[in-house]
Formats: sequence, C-alpha cells, structure tokens
Amino acid sequence: MSLPTDFGPDSGGRIKGVCIVKPIVYGNIARYFGKKREEDGHTHQWTVYVKPYHNEDMSAYIKKVHFKLHESYANQNRIVVKPPYEICETGWGEFEIVIKIHFHDPNERPVTMYHILKLFHSGSTSDLGMELGKGLVSESYDEIVFQDPTQLMHHLLTNTKQLTLGRWEHNTNFEEKKEKTQKMIIEAKQKVRMEIAVLKNRLKLARETISQFKDEIAKVQEMQYM
Amino acid sequence: MADVRDIMELERPPTPEITKETILGSDKPKKKLFNAPKAPKRPEGMHREVFALLYNDTKDAPPLFPSDTCYKQKIDLTMRKPRKWTWMPFTNPARKDGAVFYHWRRPSDEPKEYPFAKFNKKLEIPSYTDAEYQQYLKDDQWTKEETDHLMDLAARFDLRFIIMEDRFDKEKFPIKRSVEDLKDRYFKVVGLLGKFNGDKKIYTYDADHEKRRKEQLKRLHERTTQQIEEEQFLLLELKKIEARKKERERKTQDLQKLISQADNQSETPKKTDKKIPKKKLANPSRPSRVDTSQHILQAIETAGIKFPDYKNSGVSLRSQRMKLPANVGQKKSKGIEQMLQDMGLELNPTPNEDICMHFNELRSDMVLLMELKSALASCEFELQSFRHQYEALNPGKTLTIPSQLLSVTENDNKQFNSGEIIDVVGSPGNPNT
Repeated sequence: MSLPTDFGPDSGGRIKGVCIVKPIVYGNIARYFGKKREEDGHTHQWTVYVKPYHNEDMSAYIKKVHFKLHESYANQNRIVVKPPYEICETGWGEFEIVIKIHFHDPNERPVTMYHILKLFHSGSTSDLGMELGKGLVSESYDEIVFQDPTQLMHHLLTNTKQLTLGRWEHNTNFEEKKEKTQKMIIEAKQKVRMEIAVLKNRLKLARETISQFKDEIAKVQEMQYM
Repeated sequence: MADVRDIMELERPPTPEITKETILGSDKPKKKLFNAPKAPKRPEGMHREVFALLYNDTKDAPPLFPSDTCYKQKIDLTMRKPRKWTWMPFTNPARKDGAVFYHWRRPSDEPKEYPFAKFNKKLEIPSYTDAEYQQYLKDDQWTKEETDHLMDLAARFDLRFIIMEDRFDKEKFPIKRSVEDLKDRYFKVVGLLGKFNGDKKIYTYDADHEKRRKEQLKRLHERTTQQIEEEQFLLLELKKIEARKKERERKTQDLQKLISQADNQSETPKKTDKKIPKKKLANPSRPSRVDTSQHILQAIETAGIKFPDYKNSGVSLRSQRMKLPANVGQKKSKGIEQMLQDMGLELNPTPNEDICMHFNELRSDMVLLMELKSALASCEFELQSFRHQYEALNPGKTLTIPSQLLSVTENDNKQFNSGEIIDVVGSPGNPNT
C-alpha cells in the first residue's frame, strides 16, 4: 500500500478488494399546521433529510447533497454542503424528491435516491413512524457501498469524527426491523424451496408418465398398422 | 477624377500643358481623353504572359485551343467511288440437289463456299449388316424390318424422337410404339454395336424411369383445382404437425433443465447461487445441445433470476442491488409481487447485506417455482391429451394418470393464489401450442 502522501485527486488508484459500507437514513418529517394557511394555501411544514445511520460527521467524505424539489418551488435545486443535510419547507402536496449525494473525490460518482415526500397518513404504515409532537415520519434505510474506493476516498471514509457527543437515535427502529425482515425472508425462502422440491418430484413423475404413455400409444399404433 | 485613376492604377493622362486653349475651355483634349484607345501598359511585376491574356491588340477572348486543327477530319464523301454489289448465283454444298440460288455479293470478294452450309450438321447413325443383326441385335419385341425403319427414321430426322414417333409407319407395323420404346430400342442397338466395335462411350437409356417421369409430370399437370387445394392444405397440416413436434421436444428439454436446476437448488443452496453470476458473465449465450453435463450447468443459469454482479469499483446504493433486472418480464415480476404480498413481505425491505442476498435468492426461487408450476400444468395437459389419444386408438381402454399429478393445481391454490401465475411460460390451456 502506498504512503498517505500519495493520494489526491490525481492519484486515481483504487484500493482493490476493499469495501466500505456507510449506512444512511433518508426521508422526511411533516407537521400539519392545523389549518390551511390563508396566503398560499400551504398546510404542512416538512423537512427532508439525509442522516448517517451511525453517529459520524459525513462531511468528511460528502462534498454536497443536492435535493431536487418540485418545480413549483422557487429555487427547485437546493444544495447543502454541511450537516445537517436537510431542507425545511412548507407545502400542500406530496411529490418525489431526488436526493443526490456528491463525494469529495470526483472519481467517485454521485449516488441518487428517490424519496416520496409524505405529508398524509396512508394505509400502508410500513415505513411510517409516528411520534407525538414530531408529526409524521417517513424514512428509509439504505447503505452506500464503496467498492474499491480511491485512496483519497478511503482516507476520508476511515477518518470520520463523531457528529455529536449526545445520543444518536432515529425515529424508526431499524435494527428491530432488519431482524424481523430477515427472519421473514428466510422463512419464506425455506417455504418456497420446500415447494420447489415437491413440485420437482411431481414433475419427474409427470415426465416418466408421459414417456410411459408415449410408449403405450406407440404400441397400440403399431398393433393397428399390423 | 485623377485621384480615382491613381487609386485604380489606371493610366493617367499627362498633365495638359497650360496653353491658351486649355484656359479658354476648348473641348478637344477631353474628347481625346475618352475616345482614344488606351495603350495598354504592363504594370510592374506582372508577368508578360499574364498581361497578354488580359490585354491584346484585338481585345478578343483568347482562344482556348490551337485553332489550326479541327476536332475531326471531315469525311469527304465525294472523293471515292462506292464498291459494287452484284446479283450472283451460288450453290449450297449442304444441299444434295445442287440447286442454284442468287444473292447479292461484292464481285471483289473471292467466291467462297456458302458460309451457312456448315450449320447443316448430319448425325452419324450407325449401320449394321444382316449378319451383325442376326448375331447381336435380335429382340423379341422388334423385327428386323421395324428396326431398319427405326434407324432410317433416326437418320432422316436426326434423332428427333418426337417426330420419329409421329412418322412411324403405323400401317406396316401395327404394334404401338411410344417415344420411350423408340428411344429404348435405338439406344440398345447403338449400345450393342458400339460395344462390339470397341467404343468407350456407351449411352444407356432407362426407359422405365422416363416413363415414370412422364407419367408423374402428366399427373402433376392434370391435377384439378380441388386437388391442388387439398395438397396445399395437407402440406400446411404437415408443417403444423412438425412445429408441434418441435415444440414438444423443446418443452421436454426445458423440463429437464428445470428439474436439474431444482435438484441443484435444493441440494446446495448457497454455494451455487453465489457462483452462478460469474459463470453467467463468462458464457451468456443461449444453451445449445452439447452434452448433458454442460446442459445441466447451463440450465442452472437460465432459470430463476440473474441479479447483476456488483463487482465493479465505485459507489452504489445497496437498494439498487435488489432491483429486478430488466430481463425479468412483467408477468414474472407481477407474480413475484403477488407471492410476496401473500407471504406478508415488503416489496422493498430494509436493505442491508444479508437481507439483500436472501431477498434476491427468495425471488429467484419464486421464479423457479412459477416455472415449475407452469411446466407441471403443461405436463398435465399433455398427459390428458395422450390419454384422449389412447382412448381414441383403443376404445374401451384408458391410461391412468397418477393421482398426485391430477391434484396439482387444487393443492397449489390453497397455498398461493396462483391462478394467473401458472400462465407464466406458456398457456397450457391452448391445444395448438
């Protein structure tokens, strides 16, 4: 491995076989005004955000986060260069927000996420966490995977500071959710595999029967021609 | 005016001397200025040839090519006398009668043999003596007189057998001879004679074959419209039958693949799954019939879902790896969705590494399951049709389909609402597939 002085945007070399995973949480919280605002008809205040899943200062490796709002907003493209990566706005409708994370090393391409801004409670509460006072929460967990990072990026990714000395918590308990989901998926997989085994045997039987029938028919046909 | 002339580098008239006339305003010098032909003067630095092109004495356009030659010498028609043609007699050596005809010819040309005479080709028809005939050429069907007549006709009509058949002396020889009979006899005679004269090249004639060929052509020609239509119909049916046969063969092959894949999946669940993507990248071509071991290997690759291999360097989101590849059809992805919902699973679960892997495997298995189901359904259909066929062939008897196979669809419907899922590969309800 090369010396730490070796990196820089021009070094370009990637560290093969290294994979760094940075889990993140992105989404929005929304609060209802209680009534429709007279001047512009807005009903909710909302905040869309990108947060690290673990307590760390992402600005070490993230250059900027680009939030693309609905075109009806003045200044549709909002750029945040330091934490907290969030945009606070008011509005009356839900729409898709494009979140693009750019990294310090231009050799690493930005990643793009799509979040549907949630203002209203809907039937599927799968990704909704409600807390008193905070209003509505709609957030998702994802992981940024750096496969073979560049040397610069590797340095930045491995030297991060804590974001806060206090406790770092999320609105949604993702650990519990992950565990539950994994269990369910594995169970489902076993179930499907069992069925596959059963079907496979049936299929074998069917094939044997088909060839048997074919033989029978061939026999009968031969008899008739004779 | 003078300034303009200076700028244009035109010749400047010499400043007129101040005389009495100039002062008085006589118009004489002015006239001279405009009317006198300007003596062209070569500017300094201009080549003489270039200057000559621009200015010459007559101011004519310079000739583009030398004028002393023409394009073409004109033909002088008056000079020579035309050669003579005369009406002259000639004889055609191809004619035996020595008839004299006339044609136009130049008297200057040497009298030559009539040039078209050479086209009068005469075939050499072999001849035989009585002794030869008695020795070699005897035939039960042919008398010597008839054979002689045949050879005579052959010589007269240069083996144009159609004409020979027409001119055959039917009064003298009442046995009806067809063109094939004549040819047969003729070539036999020629062949036998050639054989005893030691010829290398002996022609043989297959009269039976010719007769059959002509008969066939005759029949083909004499078909009625209805017969032609029937034939077309039968050919079409034949094509259909062959297509069906191919389809069946293909199906049994697919079945083999599915079974081998199912075997593989249930026996070594994780190992193979991880290795498959690499293999797939190395050899993405469609499986061909090579040998069974390879066949099975490739079969594993074809069923289920192949998620792209994220081995490339760079940044990506974990959730991207759970996206279904574009080659998974709408029906399949709908089926997966349906199954996931029935099992109470999220369509996009929280993506961490393990969940991502298991989820992808689960969906791949689901596709395999769907394929197995549809294969089984088509098998069942095939069994039913075989049974009907058997019953039709052998009235009163029947083939029994094992009960396990008959109850397949009812059992499945309990577990998954798979009414539409079964339709994934082909529609087994359609007897024309």
